[in-house]
Amino acid sequence: MSKIKMLPAMDKLRFSFIFLLFIVIKCESVNVDTVSSDIRFKNVDRTIDISSQLVKITSKLTLENTGGTPVKNFLLAVEQFAKNNVAFVGAKDSSGKDLRLVETTVKGHDQVRFWRVDLKDAVNAGSTAIVTVETVLTKALQPYPTAITQQEDQLVKYNGNLYTYSPYLVASQKTNVIINTKSVESFSKVKPFTQQDGAIQYGPYPNTKPFSEKELVIHYRNNSPFLTVTRVERLIEVSHWGNIAVEEVIEIEHSGARLKGPFSRYDYQQDHHSGPASVRSYKTLLPASASDVYYRDTNGNISTSNMKVKKDSVELDLRPRYPLFGGWRTHYTLGYNVPSYEYLYHTGNDYLLKMRIIDHIYDDMQVDELVTKIILPEGSTSVKANLPYAVTRLPDSLHFTYLDTKGRPVISFTKKNVVENHIQDFQLRYTFPRLLMLQEPLLVVGFLYALFLCVIIYVRLDFSIHKAEHHHKD
Amino acid sequence: MTVEVQAKPSRLPHLSSDKQLTFIKLAVLSMAAILSFGTRLFSVLRFESVIHEFDPYFNYRTTRYLTEEGFYNFHNWFDDRAWYPLGRIIGGTIYPGLMVTSATLYNIMQFLNITIDIRNVCVFLAPFFSSLTTIVTYLLTKELKDEGAGLVAAAMIAIVPGYISRSVAGSYDNEGIAIFCMLLTYYFWIKAVNTGTILWATMTALAYFYMVSSWGGYVFLINLIPLHVLALMLLGRFSARVYVAYSTLYCVGTILSMQISFVGFQPVQSSEHMLALGVFGLCQLYAFTQYLRERLSPANFELLFKALLTTLLATLGTAVVALTLTGKISPWTGRFYSLLDPSYAKNHIPIIASVSEHQPTSWSSFYFDLQVLVFLFPAGLYFCFSKLTDANIFIILYGVLSIYFAGVMVRLMLVLAPVMCIVSGVAASSLLSLHVKDIEPKVEKHEKKKKHENNLVFRSEVGALFVCVLGCLLISYVFHCTWVTSEAYSSPSIVLSARAHDGARIIFDDFREAYTWLKMNTPEDSKVMSWWDYGYQITAMANRTVIVDNNTWNNTHISRVGQAMASTEDKAYEIMQELDVDYVLVIFGGLVGYSSDDINKFLWMVRIGGSTERGAHIREADYYTPSGEFRVDSDGSNTLLNCLMYKMSYYKFGLVYTEGGRPPGFDRVRGAEIGNKDFNLDVLEEAYTTEHWLVRIYKVKPLPNRGV
Repeated sequence: MSKIKMLPAMDKLRFSFIFLLFIVIKCESVNVDTVSSDIRFKNVDRTIDISSQLVKITSKLTLENTGGTPVKNFLLAVEQFAKNNVAFVGAKDSSGKDLRLVETTVKGHDQVRFWRVDLKDAVNAGSTAIVTVETVLTKALQPYPTAITQQEDQLVKYNGNLYTYSPYLVASQKTNVIINTKSVESFSKVKPFTQQDGAIQYGPYPNTKPFSEKELVIHYRNNSPFLTVTRVERLIEVSHWGNIAVEEVIEIEHSGARLKGPFSRYDYQQDHHSGPASVRSYKTLLPASASDVYYRDTNGNISTSNMKVKKDSVELDLRPRYPLFGGWRTHYTLGYNVPSYEYLYHTGNDYLLKMRIIDHIYDDMQVDELVTKIILPEGSTSVKANLPYAVTRLPDSLHFTYLDTKGRPVISFTKKNVVENHIQDFQLRYTFPRLLMLQEPLLVVGFLYALFLCVIIYVRLDFSIHKAEHHHKD
Repeated sequence: MTVEVQAKPSRLPHLSSDKQLTFIKLAVLSMAAILSFGTRLFSVLRFESVIHEFDPYFNYRTTRYLTEEGFYNFHNWFDDRAWYPLGRIIGGTIYPGLMVTSATLYNIMQFLNITIDIRNVCVFLAPFFSSLTTIVTYLLTKELKDEGAGLVAAAMIAIVPGYISRSVAGSYDNEGIAIFCMLLTYYFWIKAVNTGTILWATMTALAYFYMVSSWGGYVFLINLIPLHVLALMLLGRFSARVYVAYSTLYCVGTILSMQISFVGFQPVQSSEHMLALGVFGLCQLYAFTQYLRERLSPANFELLFKALLTTLLATLGTAVVALTLTGKISPWTGRFYSLLDPSYAKNHIPIIASVSEHQPTSWSSFYFDLQVLVFLFPAGLYFCFSKLTDANIFIILYGVLSIYFAGVMVRLMLVLAPVMCIVSGVAASSLLSLHVKDIEPKVEKHEKKKKHENNLVFRSEVGALFVCVLGCLLISYVFHCTWVTSEAYSSPSIVLSARAHDGARIIFDDFREAYTWLKMNTPEDSKVMSWWDYGYQITAMANRTVIVDNNTWNNTHISRVGQAMASTEDKAYEIMQELDVDYVLVIFGGLVGYSSDDINKFLWMVRIGGSTERGAHIREADYYTPSGEFRVDSDGSNTLLNCLMYKMSYYKFGLVYTEGGRPPGFDRVRGAEIGNKDFNLDVLEEAYTTEHWLVRIYKVKPLPNRGV
């Protein structure tokens, strides 16, 4: 008897063990690739945009197959010194279609990060293909000096690689660095180069070997806002009554050169050039259908902001309570409602929610940590998430609010180092029996019914233990 | 007012009119309750759901602590964020009723999955409790007179400005719930006196316990009730009912009140509670003599009575003297003295006198806060006297006493307002029911009062006229109350607003700007020095340690801060080093014309700073011009123009043009061009100044390196 009873339990245990093992293997397993010697880059045209706080590298690669077999994929590499700064890597083919990227490793190059790009059409022997690769690095610009006074400009230093870092031979390459300013303190001078206003061109350099590195240093003025969102928690609450509430709790820090010495309000008000590196306000774009916007922090409403409704978006001009100087921090909560018909689709009991994982906070934003939480209506089951890029899924939880009995399921995930390129849609499929819509109204009705019933009973019946002999005098 | 009018004929038609009456009563009462909630929401609608003023921020902070940490941690809470380096034992130095109430409400709502923020619970607690107060007022007045008077009183208390001033949404203070507790206690007390049951007396004790747990003003209550008992004794109305009610109340109530750690053994030690104890003893004696009188012959009784009385008085007298000498009975506190002698505070304790709400009340503010009630009150007293009952004696005592106290301290207007409403309710209801009867042609009256036929010619007209006049008065009361509430009592004072020339509203949100800056951009353990008014706000909103705060328990500490503000920079630096100060915060209104800033409070800092031994060198006279004026322009005293407060307020202000046609550095509050413009700060550094210069924060520079 007991044996039979044990069996299912054992089974369960074994199953979960295997399942766990599977997960462990799945997590541990890394793609291993080899560098193909058949590939070389015939020409690389690289643009490094360092005019904002981000380093945006766009490379136009002309890929050539020198081997005998068709090439279906190739590798991208990022230098060791920059590998932790990479926030986003994307590749497009010549027709502007996104290509699939997988992070991978190569034996013998443990300190280098690789991505494998899968081409749509294989490149035949002897022919070429053009691929555009976009890479975004965060925190690659170092303020130098690290602390400045209120009146000073912010100078930053960019340390990069003069050559395209590639596992393949590069036949010819050019690099164009956009800095958007004439005031350059110093820059690496490797001939041939030209300096035009707001840009420095390097190259062409012929025949650079695989994995070749040469220091590229540019020290220049950069007063664009150096704001880092140290943490943003995005909460999406779905209601089947026609509304989706979005709330973002945002912590921001000015990550540029720190403020040295006093902050003088007099100078700041008199002279509009005062505090060139400080941030007075920034613009946040919300969906065009956003309404009931609020902007507050733990001490209450922040009364300094403007809202403009545009054709394709709602533009918020957010002014923090105080201007942000280097090293200063602030935090706030921004919330709004959007109608659910724009984001929620359903057939029968099956629903599909399609919304952005993260939305725009300010131009050229960099986010250290993002947590997105999606609260589904009570009673939603079999939730499946489909995400455009890799995120860490957090354990599901329950959320209790008005008229809930067993709690609303909460799906949450987190991602580190997020930039604007990550503003993409996720898809969430779930099942919700439509009859459950009646639960909440019925709950209210039932409660009122019970209340009235109690009152009726109380009024009709006499509950006193003994009759008072005399009502007290009037 | 129509209760007596209802007839008692056959059953069926009577039932329906009875139902109608119940419906009307319910409707009026619930409307009054809703109105009393609604009229307090001006500031929420105009600004936002935000905590007001200073003390409410402390209460809010402690409530948050209570909900997060639980009751025991709250009870044992030692706060190291205030009174640096002394700290403060919060659990033992507050009345926890308010916090426990809102935490309980919050937890109940959380349990029911009503996810309301604790801040919103705090903001709306006072309006909610004033709704309850409205209902209790109805019940209380119903006990005193009748249901009609109850309804009028309820409607009156719903909007009386004297009470609204302390209970608008966001004004999260003890008084908000204390008035409810007080009236509830009175209601139960009247019930207990009328019925003489232990049940009602115990209920009184419980309500009293709630009152003790929430407000220091319970002392008024524990003196008023014994006074009522004493009055009943003197008037020969003392009965077994009163005996039961008071004995139960005193025993249960005293034991319960001693459970509040801030109250502790005061109910049996301090002089303020001695009346209650004495009356309790007297009750027992009285009852005992009554008992003896029944059993003994008159002659024997007389002898025994005299002997007993002398020994008792003698022992009591010696006991009191001995206990006072040994310090077991504490002397009366300063606030209590200032109640009996309004000039006491001014002469002895500058800290108490410096608080505006402790000033004596002016005549105009009686009218401002009570309007028509001031005139109805004597009429109501007349009606109370005309039909004297135990309950009426109580309300007369309450009314007369609270009028006196309200005259001594502005703040106690709060205690007066409810009784004004109750008595005026009695008056209005009695007057109306007297004259409404005349308007209606009464068939039955014709037969009875045939001899007054000649009077009847104008009787109905006079009645109608009177009802009209009273109606107008009451309507003007409504308008007045709404106006006062909207204009005077609904500004959160944490956010200021003004009108621009084009009529647009400008919001000055500088306080929160500064506090948020402090919170986000200073090290967690920094110590902030400011005048004590802003202590609670800094700890609550900026979460930083303060040197002094609104709980003005340590005079020397505050005095030390006053000395720092009133000294020159280098002297002040020594004090700031001694107190380990990192940042100094001052409020400056000169740019926008905000008049309650630190320069205008400065003389109090000088007075308080000079009131202790270490500040003896600070003399108020030094800060005046030879002609005795307080001026900040070039005629001002040199001591003033070089003290720390002056320098912090006016640093770089000499360069600013504030008004057209005026020289730079024109102070819009004082209406003068400042006298000392060109100076630098040696030991301080401007850390932050808000957009409208309302709050200025300075960083104290560290000691310079040796040899530099």
